[in-house]
Amino acid sequence: MSSQQNGRRPYLPPFRRDWWLQLRFYRLYMLREATVLPLLFFVGWLIYGLYSLGQGPMQWQHWLEFMAKPWVFVLNLLTLAASLFHAKTFFELFPRVMPLAPPGLMIAGQWLGTVVVAIGLIVLLGGYV
Amino acid sequence: MTQTIVIARYNPEQDEKPHHEAYQVQSDDNTSVLDALQQVQQQDPGLSFRWSCRMAICGSCGVMVNGVPKLGCQTFLRDYPAGLVITPLSNFAVEKDLIVNMEPFLEHLSAIKPWLINTAEGTQPHVQTPKQLAKYQQFANCINCGLCYSACPQFGLNPEFRGPAALALAHRYNLDSRDQGKAQRMPELNAKNGVWTCTFVGFCSEVCPKKVDPAAAINQGKVESAKDMIVSVLKPSGAR
Amino acid sequence: MLQLDMDIIVVGGGGAGLRAAIAAAEASPTLNVALVSKVYPMRSHTVAAEGGAAAVTLSEDSLQSHFFDTVAGSDWLAEQDVVEFFVQHAYQELVQLERWGCPWSRKNDGSVQVRRFGGMKTERTWFAADKTGFHILHTLFQTSLKYPSIERFDEYFVLDLLVVDQRVAGVLAIRYSTGELVQIRAKSVILATGGAGRVFHYNTNSGIVTGDGMALALRHGVALRDMEFVQYHPTGLPGSGILITEACRGEGGILLNKDGYRYLQDYGLGPETPLGEPRNKCMELGPRDRLSQAFWQQQKLGLTGDYQGHAVVYLDLRHLGDKHLKERLPLICELARDFVNVDPAKAPIPVRPAVHYTMGGVMTDIDCQTSIQGLFAIGECASVGLHGANRLGSNSLSELLVFGKVAGERAAALAQQNDHVSHQAIAQQTAVQQALLSGMPGHNTNDSLVAIRTAMTKAMEEGCGIYRDANSMQHCLDQLHSLRQRYQVLNVEDQGKVYNSALLQHLELGFGLDVAMAICSSALARKESRGAHQRLDEGLTARNDAEFLQHSLAVQQQDGSIDIRWQAVTITSLPPGQRLYGDCGAVNEGKAS
Repeated sequence: MSSQQNGRRPYLPPFRRDWWLQLRFYRLYMLREATVLPLLFFVGWLIYGLYSLGQGPMQWQHWLEFMAKPWVFVLNLLTLAASLFHAKTFFELFPRVMPLAPPGLMIAGQWLGTVVVAIGLIVLLGGYV
Repeated sequence: MTQTIVIARYNPEQDEKPHHEAYQVQSDDNTSVLDALQQVQQQDPGLSFRWSCRMAICGSCGVMVNGVPKLGCQTFLRDYPAGLVITPLSNFAVEKDLIVNMEPFLEHLSAIKPWLINTAEGTQPHVQTPKQLAKYQQFANCINCGLCYSACPQFGLNPEFRGPAALALAHRYNLDSRDQGKAQRMPELNAKNGVWTCTFVGFCSEVCPKKVDPAAAINQGKVESAKDMIVSVLKPSGAR
Repeated sequence: MLQLDMDIIVVGGGGAGLRAAIAAAEASPTLNVALVSKVYPMRSHTVAAEGGAAAVTLSEDSLQSHFFDTVAGSDWLAEQDVVEFFVQHAYQELVQLERWGCPWSRKNDGSVQVRRFGGMKTERTWFAADKTGFHILHTLFQTSLKYPSIERFDEYFVLDLLVVDQRVAGVLAIRYSTGELVQIRAKSVILATGGAGRVFHYNTNSGIVTGDGMALALRHGVALRDMEFVQYHPTGLPGSGILITEACRGEGGILLNKDGYRYLQDYGLGPETPLGEPRNKCMELGPRDRLSQAFWQQQKLGLTGDYQGHAVVYLDLRHLGDKHLKERLPLICELARDFVNVDPAKAPIPVRPAVHYTMGGVMTDIDCQTSIQGLFAIGECASVGLHGANRLGSNSLSELLVFGKVAGERAAALAQQNDHVSHQAIAQQTAVQQALLSGMPGHNTNDSLVAIRTAMTKAMEEGCGIYRDANSMQHCLDQLHSLRQRYQVLNVEDQGKVYNSALLQHLELGFGLDVAMAICSSALARKESRGAHQRLDEGLTARNDAEFLQHSLAVQQQDGSIDIRWQAVTITSLPPGQRLYGDCGAVNEGKAS
């Protein structure tokens, strides 16, 4: 190799597998990405619920009891928190990807939309109309 | 007052790999990392690092300060009361001390055709309104310092990734109302090492000394890339 | 040693070098162009230019007016045929840059906007916010990437020119990354290495502005012309010398002494213009030499303020408002905050003059050709004759485009006619440099590069500052002689091959010392005051056209000393007149036109 003849010996440090532990910024990024994990449980149970509904009232009752278990409830709370955190990061990134209006306005608009849709769903599915 | 700084040293003609050494420097409120490095060089003329303008516009003096990419001239000792460790820019091969091999960066930069593509001849300036200028101006402020490449774990994992500065520059020209070269640049953006390698970690924009926001540019590039791919699927073959 | 053959070598990757390389590549795509630069091109000092580039643009402006401002600004030492050519071609070059993508600032209708600049009668300075040089350099660099015939040699440091029988044959360079000697043969060579501001202690220049190209030519018998004219920029930051652009004053910024008084009205630049209504060629928009001299006078009167031990005056931008400042002067806001901890919207910025530009340089004719056949020089390292005794701000960015193109085309034409000089003819010169390089470690280890360099920059600051007299200049020259002797036996403190920055600094210091000698010797020989060269000696404080309406030519002797010769100034249409600004200037211009 010519690089040996002319004294050059570039040193490339190995890329650390724990790179994401090195800085707070990276840890927050990994947390954002990790919000998908509780969501997986949530989706799994949702599908199980749909399946149970198809199997008749017994199975449906069974699913409701399962969902009421404390540890499932806690996991669902965690999912909610993770989704809200993900929403926060997403809403902040979105105006940078699609700069349609001043960022502050876009972020506020997205939160407003979330609240409106959430209330709408509660009203609709909760049987309040 | 006297402050201790630690510098990563590597002499390829003697050392197996880099090691850290501590130095004493005189500092006051205005002492930059670059000033400190110059002081150390007076004690030890063997120390190599790049620098030139001293005013954060030439992009030469990028280093890692406590693990974060910084321009040496724009980073001040006063902000590091607990001390600082200065290492070469991450994700590039170290040539000597704080000098890294910037060639990969330049290759990526050239690959995206970073020039105005417009075949019309003319002897007068194009018309471009302040609003049209504002669309790309931020992305034209890149000083090619390479800090964003050191901040990007995707580039660290895959050195073939075109990377933040190059993709932001492609986006800058694509957004320019005078440019007609978008069709020529899109294949590079759509390609394996183009915009889709980015996972929006976003640290590139955090460390950018000129607030270029390359992460935004790349992700706007994803929108363009998606449009481009949909169009190419819908259009009958041969029509492109 | 590596040996390569190219058709054209451009030494220096700044604005001028890139413009020349592109011109050569466009002139003939079959010619190989080597762009040899000691730093990556986008690191070149062009990047730091802030204010703008001049060209007659508005309908109420005229070429005659730009010509008059430039010649009067030069204190009648400009080559008038060169100025004519320059003002005629500047506009087209700025348009060319626009068509390559330069993001010039615009008016609401989408046309290019122009701003006021010091010493210019009308608004004619094109700008890209306050990063004009940055945008010009990056536009040129990025454009250069599309020409396959331009081959870059980044981080190659040119040691010597190869010259055979007064004809250039190529260059010898060191590859910074490996320390190898590289011999590149070529049919024409363009020097575009920038100025020499770093031979002074307080300067606005990048670390790389060490006069390399000037010294390369000087050592081969080419004259350096008008080297005594060194421009002090009136507004550098105290200590670092970092540049605060003249555009601040173009936008309406004012200069105050420690009592808050606009002192410029006392130095022939008045009367005081109302706040927020800057007037071309008056007060803060007077030429740079006058403004720097006014600072010196104020300092003598004890009317300057103090910033950490540095004498300063104050640049007040507060009345422009935060929004306008952020939009038009974003870099200045950043620099003031970072380096002197001042928010320009809230407090005035402390400033003082700092060496900014070398008006003189490698002597060329109007085609940028030096006295060595095939050797061209452009940009700050050259003296094509545009700036004379004082450069007007925003003329130099246009200059490097206009004459970069000329040199690139001429070099291409020449390269097509000529052949390479034989290896044999340059073998000996190459061997000498190779021996020098391997013998570089001089024996004296008790001395240091830093000590010699600091002594040089301090000597120049004291001997060749804003005002000069025979005694201080002679003292400076004596010091330079002894520093040169110390340098010749100085040991290089790092023996490595790979990225040996100690070796490069050693070579740069050698170049700097030669250029410093030329500056000081030329200054001693000019026994009058003109433009940026102001003497305090009795009887020499005024311009003396009878004896000194001439260019100084500095020629290096065998022993390294400098011999001064003189060359007549080309005057085409504007005979020497009085150089007046402020209200007096307006009256004078009325007469002249």
